[in-house]
Amino acid sequence: MTLFLEQIINGLVLGGIYALIAVGYTMVYGVIQLINFAHGEIFMFGAYFAFLGVTALNLPLWLALILSVVLCAILGVIIDLVAYRPLRSAPRLSALITAIGISLVLQNVARMIWGAEPRRDLANAKSDFLAQTITIPGGAQLSYLDLSIIVLAVFLMAGLNRLIYLTRIGKAMRACAQDKMAASLMGINTNIVITITFALGSGLGAIAGIMVGMRETIEPTMGYYKGVAAFAAAVLGGIGNITGAMLGGIVLGIAEVLGAGYISSGYRIAIAYILMILVIIFRPSGLLGRASAKRA
Amino acid sequence: MLNRSNVSDNTVVETEGRNQFLPVSLKLAGLLLALCLVPLVTHFLDRGNYVLHIFSTVYLYMLLALGLNVVTGFTGLLDLGYVGFYLVGGYTAGLLMVRMGLSYWFALPIAAIHGAIWGLLRGAPTLRLTGDYFAIVTFGFSELLFRIVKNEEWLIGGPNGFVNDIPPPVILGIELYQYWQQYYHILILLLVTLIVVYRLQFSRVGRAWQAISQDEEAAQTMGIGLYEYKSLAFAISGAIGAVGGAFFAQFQVNISAGVFEFWESILILCMIVLGGMGTIRGSLVGAAILGSLGEVLRILLSILKLPADSRYLIFGLILVLMMRFRPSGILTDNPK
Repeated sequence: MTLFLEQIINGLVLGGIYALIAVGYTMVYGVIQLINFAHGEIFMFGAYFAFLGVTALNLPLWLALILSVVLCAILGVIIDLVAYRPLRSAPRLSALITAIGISLVLQNVARMIWGAEPRRDLANAKSDFLAQTITIPGGAQLSYLDLSIIVLAVFLMAGLNRLIYLTRIGKAMRACAQDKMAASLMGINTNIVITITFALGSGLGAIAGIMVGMRETIEPTMGYYKGVAAFAAAVLGGIGNITGAMLGGIVLGIAEVLGAGYISSGYRIAIAYILMILVIIFRPSGLLGRASAKRA
Repeated sequence: MLNRSNVSDNTVVETEGRNQFLPVSLKLAGLLLALCLVPLVTHFLDRGNYVLHIFSTVYLYMLLALGLNVVTGFTGLLDLGYVGFYLVGGYTAGLLMVRMGLSYWFALPIAAIHGAIWGLLRGAPTLRLTGDYFAIVTFGFSELLFRIVKNEEWLIGGPNGFVNDIPPPVILGIELYQYWQQYYHILILLLVTLIVVYRLQFSRVGRAWQAISQDEEAAQTMGIGLYEYKSLAFAISGAIGAVGGAFFAQFQVNISAGVFEFWESILILCMIVLGGMGTIRGSLVGAAILGSLGEVLRILLSILKLPADSRYLIFGLILVLMMRFRPSGILTDNPK
């Protein structure tokens, strides 16, 4: 029972991280209908930027986190400006291939700069406070780090939700997601909305990258593996649907931890693909998507 | 139309080439003869076998590029898991030959059929959906297969998907394992594939695929059955990939899961993007350039003390730059 409880907690933490990455995929897809394969790499750069802040600049962790979020937001916006914007009116296949290319470039740049070996510097940089654990009813151990990841993820998700549904810019984003042409006719500057979408998604991805870096290790391929899983979470919840991405992330996180624990650890990553393919077969619009999203 | 595909412009160029029948066929015959004579030349070279090996690898990539081009080039659906068929073919042929002692000449067609079946199964869930979903499913499919061969020792017979000592094909009691024999082997497979794909492209089927790639709804209105024609493309593409895999299995003698990673799919995609998607000529030229560049880079990078994997940086740049500046490939004169 204790083990089960601990796995559920692990799943929730992982799910929160997936959710943070997944909203980046889903927001970009919602606004420009592009699967931004490079998003996983931005998440990876988030971890490395924080790593640089902690090691090279000797910053405290919280400052490194802010620095990394800002840098990643800039990186995301630059990628959009340089690579995706010129292809807005090109066939969708072109943009998709470009996204794959950007992802390859970023991953290999990271490998050339920082090497392929996994690094634990972020995990070592966390304060003693975060390393402490508390025992929760049922006997499971919960570290302060995991607790703060869950709290921060919930806080950010709630904030994003409020931003999307209560502010002017959120309204503009929803308008662009529905119909870009109509939105621009209503006086919305769609280019600025797209830029903000990329910045927001990339910033959240950076935070998720740092969380992973503190719990596990940092390596150039982390963006690929975690990115794919998070993308599966976005599909699971219904691509383009932000609440769906959050739900999908948590479902996938728990499924992955339980699957690895009770079925086979070799298939840990495969669980994401299996869930993703099942959703596409039986409910392509995702758990929360509307039926009309079928031919998005 | 805003999103007019560049694929059609290329095809026109190729059709024109076909009309002046004689000169082109003479040129082709000359080229073919030259390719047949390569082993004679390399026989006298110092490292002739290495050259033959590179040639064979390039032919194999050409075959794979042609197969990928059937789906991604002709019907315009992005396939991110083509290496899955390569894996299916390789393991089908390898296991049939090693475990059941089947002759290569039976294992090869069985592998092709197996590949075609997976092509159909893989495409089926996405038939009613947009191309994005197809890309996702293809990706998940190849990654799943990769996990399966890596983890299921009872099926594969060894850890990490190792299948060892795959025997060479035998004709009249002669084992075809030497470099020049393998060279002709893959050259013949490539030529057969080339003829099949070429005949398809200029047939009713090929025109239907082209129509689908330009506008699915318009094609449907013209009476083209989307599901049938897309499924046909999936099956043919899968079969070609599996044939490549079957050849690869006996060519390498030992195969392991590590060969069939996601990046291999991207490399093949990169080939058809570089040469020009939707054209046969483009697939061949792209595979020739990147297939041999891969070998050159492997040596060059090790001299520069860079990790061998950083060649993917170059492949990534090629994808981005081609899409931005020459989406219809390096062979066409008009950049857009």
